[in-house]
Amino acid sequence: MTIRILDPTVRAEEGADVAVAKRVADLDGKVLGLLHNGKVNGDHLLDLVREQLAARYRLRDVVVVRKPSASRVADPDVLDRLARECDAVVTAIGD
Amino acid sequence: MTLTAAEHEVTGWAEAVEAYFERGWTDGLPVVPATADAVQAFLEAAGREPGDVVLREATRRRSITAEKVAINAVMAGCRADYMPVLLAALEAMADPAFTLHGAITSTGGSATLVVVNGPIRQRLGFNAGGNVFGPGWRANATIGRAIRLITLNCLGAQPGLLDRSTQGHPGKYTYCIAELEEESPWEPLHVARGLPRDSSAVTVYAAEGPHNVLSHYGETADAIVVAIADTMACLGSFSPGESFVVLAPEHVQILARDGWTRTRLREALYAGARRTVADLKRGGKLAGAVAPGDDARWVHRGQGPDDIHLVVAGGGAGGHSAFIPSWSRERNSLAVTREIRA
Repeated sequence: MTIRILDPTVRAEEGADVAVAKRVADLDGKVLGLLHNGKVNGDHLLDLVREQLAARYRLRDVVVVRKPSASRVADPDVLDRLARECDAVVTAIGD
Repeated sequence: MTLTAAEHEVTGWAEAVEAYFERGWTDGLPVVPATADAVQAFLEAAGREPGDVVLREATRRRSITAEKVAINAVMAGCRADYMPVLLAALEAMADPAFTLHGAITSTGGSATLVVVNGPIRQRLGFNAGGNVFGPGWRANATIGRAIRLITLNCLGAQPGLLDRSTQGHPGKYTYCIAELEEESPWEPLHVARGLPRDSSAVTVYAAEGPHNVLSHYGETADAIVVAIADTMACLGSFSPGESFVVLAPEHVQILARDGWTRTRLREALYAGARRTVADLKRGGKLAGAVAPGDDARWVHRGQGPDDIHLVVAGGGAGGHSAFIPSWSRERNSLAVTREIRA
């Protein structure tokens, strides 16, 4: 007896709003964004990233933003600000 | 009614069961093969079109249609008439206050506790009595399981991939209870949360497992409150998050006999479920060394009495209540209640 079973899975939607940002070749003269997820020690981790990158590149500026909660997505305002002001953004899970 | 899910042809029932394992589409237990006939019957029972979007999860960009809900419900072993409960639970999980993505992926390892209230309990045969968290009742077992299968198959929360639970807990297979409203001297959960008494409702809660509160020999409200508050203050689950307290009939009868109301109980539990800052530091719940004065500074579980949700359930014999801590340690994920439209 042939049985046809139905696929129970759902795949992520393709969307124009999730295009990958333009890559940067280096960070010289660029603005670096650091998005801290709000967990304990996440700030320390990002401080180390900042030190390492600052030693390697001449950063024009650094924008640091902290999410109030690691479990919730960043507010659209925060993401818009990072997109507007920064050339590259690093985010990290510290705990 | 036209379904859009891809079909896979197999040569028999046993092969179909194996095919689900091979494709990674189960929770580790065999499922009921979902055929188009069964799925259509489920959609008809729910009065939904296959393409109706029931839940959209923005972080991972997943839209779950009624068709996918029905497929997973069939697989879980549900009956067609369970669909309205499942749809209401998913609608509640879609509320931003629930923080679905975080709840199903975090190392904290929560499961979605589903609490059912109202006349639908009798109509669908939910267990609210003895062994309420245990096996034996199809409605409890399969609706909780369907929530998990949807989490796995539709939201991508497979263990080790998106679901990064450090340990998880057994409620991740199924975690659905009903309230024993008939044994409660107080208003049931859905009424406390603003719905009419004669409505049916689900409340979803991203939850740890139940912590037993055995209190047999005090036989007074005061003794029961001491035991529950102490369990709520345990360091392991201590946080400013919400709490569910599932009261055994025996306990709630003693509380009512001694003149306690819901409000008084919530206030007493909030007052009693507290630790000193020194304890929290000693137990690694707060960073830093114990400082002078920390032994006299108190922190309560939750942010106030309203963070404590009361439900009555369990068998007629035995002084065993349960404390169920929230996965969320702050306000990241809150319990959400929705009416069941059946």
